[in-house]
Amino acid sequence: MSEDRPTNPLIATKLHVPSARRNLVARPRLLASLEGASDARLVLVSAPAGFGKTTLVAAWLRGLADDGAAVAWVSLDERDDDPAPFWTYVLAALDAAVPGLGANVREQLEHTPTEAMLAMLVNELHGLDRDVVVVLDDFHVIDHPDIHEAVTHLVDHLPERVHVVLTSRADPPLPLARLRARGELVEIRAADLRFTADEAAAYLNDAMGLALAADDIATLDARTEGWIAALQLAALSMQGRDDVGSFIAGFAGDDRYIVDYLAGEVLHRQPEPVRRFLLHTSVLDRLHGSLCDAVTGASDGKTTLEALDRENLFVIPLDDRREWYRYHHLFADVLRARLHDEDPDAPSELHRRASAWFAAHDDPMNAVRHAAAAGDFDRAAELAELALPALRRNRQDAAIRAWEALIPESVVRVRPALAVAFVGAAMSTGAFDRAEERLRDIEQWLTLTPAAQAAAGMVVADDAQLRALPGAIEMYRAALALVGGDTAATVDHAQRVLAVAPDDDELGRAAAHALLGLAAWSEGDLERAFDEYTHGIAGMRRIGHIADILGMSIAMADIRVAQGRLRDAQRLYEQGLQLVAEHGAGPLRGSADMHVGLAEIFRERDDRDAAAAELQRAQELELFGTRQYPYRSRAVRAGLLLAEGDTEGCLALLEEAERLYDTDFSPAVRPIGARRARTHVLQGDLASARAWVRERNLSTDDELRYATEFEHITLTIIRIHERTNERELHEVSTMLDRLLAAAEAGGRGSSVIEILAVQALAFDARGDTSRALDALRRALELAEPEGYARVFDYLGPRLRTLRDAIATGSTPRRASQPGLVDPLSDRELDVLRLLRSDLSGPEIARELIVSLNTMRTHTKSIYTKLGVNNRREAVRRADELGL
Amino acid sequence: MWAHHIGSYVAFVQYEIRVKGHLDSRWAAVFDGLTVTREDGGTTVIHGPVVDQAALHGVLQKLRDLGVPLISVQLRPEGD
Repeated sequence: MSEDRPTNPLIATKLHVPSARRNLVARPRLLASLEGASDARLVLVSAPAGFGKTTLVAAWLRGLADDGAAVAWVSLDERDDDPAPFWTYVLAALDAAVPGLGANVREQLEHTPTEAMLAMLVNELHGLDRDVVVVLDDFHVIDHPDIHEAVTHLVDHLPERVHVVLTSRADPPLPLARLRARGELVEIRAADLRFTADEAAAYLNDAMGLALAADDIATLDARTEGWIAALQLAALSMQGRDDVGSFIAGFAGDDRYIVDYLAGEVLHRQPEPVRRFLLHTSVLDRLHGSLCDAVTGASDGKTTLEALDRENLFVIPLDDRREWYRYHHLFADVLRARLHDEDPDAPSELHRRASAWFAAHDDPMNAVRHAAAAGDFDRAAELAELALPALRRNRQDAAIRAWEALIPESVVRVRPALAVAFVGAAMSTGAFDRAEERLRDIEQWLTLTPAAQAAAGMVVADDAQLRALPGAIEMYRAALALVGGDTAATVDHAQRVLAVAPDDDELGRAAAHALLGLAAWSEGDLERAFDEYTHGIAGMRRIGHIADILGMSIAMADIRVAQGRLRDAQRLYEQGLQLVAEHGAGPLRGSADMHVGLAEIFRERDDRDAAAAELQRAQELELFGTRQYPYRSRAVRAGLLLAEGDTEGCLALLEEAERLYDTDFSPAVRPIGARRARTHVLQGDLASARAWVRERNLSTDDELRYATEFEHITLTIIRIHERTNERELHEVSTMLDRLLAAAEAGGRGSSVIEILAVQALAFDARGDTSRALDALRRALELAEPEGYARVFDYLGPRLRTLRDAIATGSTPRRASQPGLVDPLSDRELDVLRLLRSDLSGPEIARELIVSLNTMRTHTKSIYTKLGVNNRREAVRRADELGL
Repeated sequence: MWAHHIGSYVAFVQYEIRVKGHLDSRWAAVFDGLTVTREDGGTTVIHGPVVDQAALHGVLQKLRDLGVPLISVQLRPEGD
């Protein structure tokens, strides 16, 4: 038995380049058109079944291989119509063609979005120093739009030395017209593939040795219209026949579907045991000696297959060792129709036997499929349920989804473990509707006593899965609540997971801790959030889920930054990178985020070179960024530009970051909009800042929450720069007092430093220099130990003046213009005086003997300091302030 | 609203698919119970109720996989 056991049959047979068939007709005219394909990105061989597509491509590739080209071949079938198995096979084929090619991509497949995976793949292909041809045979079985899109993208980005060949019974939805117009497409179609009269003669007389007259050949060619499969069947029917002439006359005069007619003739001429073998094994997609024996109940499977192969009876070898075969598709269809016609009950018993063979050979996918085809859905469901843990471990959600289509709902309903797996598989593709309803149905079982469960027909194949069921249900509920934005419900369900999930359910428990951390963070309970994440990371570490650890590390570092613990945050990012290095499989999803996090910390410490270097490293690993990476990397870059005084550049990057803003369910505690409003203030564009305040509906009377803290601090900065009156400044100060108390109570060190600095500005604007300096001194004392250097960037030049005063121990020049945080310079006062006149801009410039540009710079600065947008307002504001 | 949807999309529609060559009636099982009728002139009509467009395309795909040349696909007038 053991030597019959196929070795990794699935991969090997699917990647096998078809070997040369016996009795082949050389087709120099078609090979000549393919010669031109060395310049084409895409070769499309598009024709119905039985036109010799695969045979032609295989013959062409044998020539190419002799010239040193590598061939990556994938024989597709219906089960590959899902991105996960599809790309797994393509990458395995590339590896078989050029050992090591695509290895990095394969490692990452599970964690990487398709676009990133393609970019990596194209990158690797560009490094090749030889020609590679990627063949996707029977591409018509692919319906999934994501695969079509990805293959289009791949074809568009292929390096010169790589070519894609598709064989298909229908034109694929790729931009063929565009490729054709650019000369990047070589097409071989049915009209090209049909046997010409000469080729038919070469085949029938030379290859098959039939010695037919020219008339007979012309008759056969006309009747079959050059359809190769039909001519092959005709040849098989005529071999060893005395009455070839009457056969041809009968065939030509018959209207029956050609394959049906000819296959009938061929079958009729087989000894009864062979005929039965062909009919009974037609239920199999793939044929193997031992599998055929299991299905037929005989023991001659292997020798029969070898005999069929020798006689060219439409079996196609799928590997070099000639262990696995399949029937030609057309022949198999005819066999199945005849089997059903002769004995309608036979197929289900045959499928049942095939299912048992696959189950015994540890192939649950085929075992389930054949059980379902047999109509034995209970057996299919049981096999599926038992296979779940292994599939989950390998994240084969696609396989689980495929089963949902095979097994009727009534059968799944009484199998809670299977039902919950189906809910999870559906949710993994973003299908959340009906999920709760289905979970509730499943949960009903848990409310029953074992006796009642049995009486109601509940079926359990695996007790361990039943024990894990309550935890799984609550976990999916927590995920649903999170997607729905309901934090309280997320917490409830995540806590239930911890209460009911068995200790060995590491993944479930770790994920629950992560959700609890997220919820605590959203509520501003930073220490508890940090603890939960710590538990989550410990669990993920035990099961080796490194990418999940990186995701949690980002959250934990954010929390440490909020607490004002920059060094601890730095350590978390460094530990994340260390873990990836120890893992040894190259960068993982989240690697780029670790470097961006470090860049942000270096930026805050004003170590700009280190920050730039980290950003550079992050960019190199861009493909390994989480959903947060695009906005975060831009926000850090914006901060670096601001440190250089480039507010325009900063603003442009913040706008980009805002478009890409995705916190991936993390609380939006430092929204980009607020940072943009602060930058507008620095530019003196108070109108835009005010528009943001209106849009966010913020007021100094608002109730304070952690989630809006950053926005409220931003509000106070805007109000102070608006040069409002004493009453309004008092309101700002009151809000700052409240903000400070809340931040101190919540242990948010970062906010405390910032609020104290804003308080300094508020006191200064109210003319209370001594309290302003006290507040700023406290801020600086807190900032110093952790190396905060750029936290005051958004607070403008007046804060710098105050800080310089503290540094030099002097008293800051009292704002000689009361009500102005940043006083006008003498030159600006000159310009202001002339702005009150009727002189035009150029006239003012001439009057002051400066260039027009210089005059404009002064004017802009005046507007900024006065918080206005035009000359008329500037004059009015200056009057109000008595300047 | 729901009833309207059922009325316009879920009701069975009669289709008539004409192909080249005579298909034996044993193929009716492959076409999910549609009727297979051979016509003079070497054509076959596959006809009967088709639940929706997806089902129709399923039938056409089977014909494609058999390599049977398609001649026409027609909606049968109501009341037929």
